[in-house]
Order: sequence, then C-alpha cells, then structure tokens
Amino acid sequence: MTSHEDSASDDSGSEDSVTDLMIYLARQLVDEPDAVEVEAIEGDRAIVYELTVAPDDLGKVIGRDGRTARALRALLTAASSKVRKRSLLEILE
Amino acid sequence: MDERKNEARDGALLLDDADAKRAPTGQDGQSGDGKAEESAGILEEILDRMDLDVDVDVREDGEKIVLDLDGPDVGRVIGKKGMTLDALQFLLNKIVNRFPDGRRHVVVDSGDYRERHDNGLISMARREAKRVVTEGEVVTLEPMSARDRRVIHLSLAKFEGVTTASHGQGMQRRIQIMPADGEQPRSRGRGRRR
Repeated sequence: MTSHEDSASDDSGSEDSVTDLMIYLARQLVDEPDAVEVEAIEGDRAIVYELTVAPDDLGKVIGRDGRTARALRALLTAASSKVRKRSLLEILE
Repeated sequence: MDERKNEARDGALLLDDADAKRAPTGQDGQSGDGKAEESAGILEEILDRMDLDVDVDVREDGEKIVLDLDGPDVGRVIGKKGMTLDALQFLLNKIVNRFPDGRRHVVVDSGDYRERHDNGLISMARREAKRVVTEGEVVTLEPMSARDRRVIHLSLAKFEGVTTASHGQGMQRRIQIMPADGEQPRSRGRGRRR
C-alpha cells in the first residue's frame, strides 16, 4: 500500500485506475488472462466499462446466479468514488 | 419443512459464501501452503487499485485464512451494509480457490465488524421471535445472504415457541419466523431491516 505516498497515484479512483482494477480482477478469475480486455466508454451521465473475456471464461466472471458479476460491480462502485458519474460494468458476450 | 432442511444443510458449510458445493472433491489446504500470503498479496493489489488506504493483517486458523483490515479508509472498505467487504471476500475466495485442491476459506474482516454484524442479526432475530410468540403471527424478515440466514436459523434453533424457514429464490430468499404450534398462522409479511 506504499503507492499512496507516490504522487503517481493521484489518478487512483479515476477512470484509468478503475479500468485497471477491473482488468486485474478479471485476470485473476479467468483461465486465459491474456484475453481480458476492458474498455471505458464515457457518456454524459455514466461511464460504461465493457469487459471482454475468452468465451470459455464468461462463466468465471459472471458466476452462479451472477454472483461474481455482482461482486465485481460492488467493487467498481466502491472504486469509482472520485468519478462523478455513474459507473456500470457490462460483460460482453 | 423441506426448505428448512435445505437451510440446515447450507448451514453446515463453513464457507461464508456457501460456495463449497461447487468443489465436492479435493482436500482442504492447511497453514503453510502459501495461500494466506497469496491472498493477502492479491487483496493488497485490489485495495491499492481502489485507492483504499488500509493495511492487511493475516491470521490463519486451520484451513481458514483471516485477512483483517485496518486504516484510515476502513469505513469505505466495509461499505454500505458491508457490501464492499462481502464483495472482496467473495472474489478472494473465487480467486484463491480456483482449483479444487487445497481449498482455503478466506474471511475478509475489519476488527470485530463481522462479530458485531452477527450480534446485530441475533438480537434482531430474538426481538422478532418474541413478537411472534406474543402476537402469534408470522414475521418475514428482509432478504439476506445464505450466511446471514444461517446465523439467524442457528440463533433461534433453541428459542421456545418459534420455528424458522426460508422462502424465495436467490437474492430474494428470506427467513420466516413462525409460531411453533397452534392454529394456522396468519402471515402479515412485515419486513425488518437486518
């Protein structure tokens, strides 16, 4: 947690660091981390983070009854405190 | 009553996220397999990317790994109704237990947060159970996680004059506290926050 002292961490909570968080989490969950992509699309009121994973890994980021996706969204919301827009996670098929 | 039996079986699971059903095979891991350090490292990476200033303290208790968080941002790391803490715990269990062998149960806590949360659930459940006894009516609680429902079922198991059961699916599953015997109970469906 040392990076909080760095000036380089000033972008934490920003769009870039939220993208980074989603990429990190998805890569930890899947079998093919190299296939993980996250694109942040900024609209007027919301930022949509589009997550792409290998087709066989879809279940790993969604989970039974969508529980994994729900947990990812909970962390996305908690991490987006500095983004003044609503943050949404969309998992692309 | 079938539903109640299911609940008891859920309750037998040690995992907070009741996810053990997924991996019926494979041995549980133990202290010294490096998973405690691995999970603490992953949690730090996550917290760092969430811009949360908290320290991670690692404890091991048999197959259980407890990651205790403390620091200026504990409030944010717990989140509304513990939502952030629960999401962290859920994802860490998924990540650390991706392979069926050497499963460990990862608990993410902050001080005595989970204990206080459980105590709150238990006193609410007792209060509602008393109401069921005195008013003779069924009380339906708010939807809760499998883990929270388990805490309540267990806390009322020996409570005189009431029985408990769960109804509904998935996120909507909620506990009903009913008079133990007597005439057909009238349901009033009054919700209570947990």
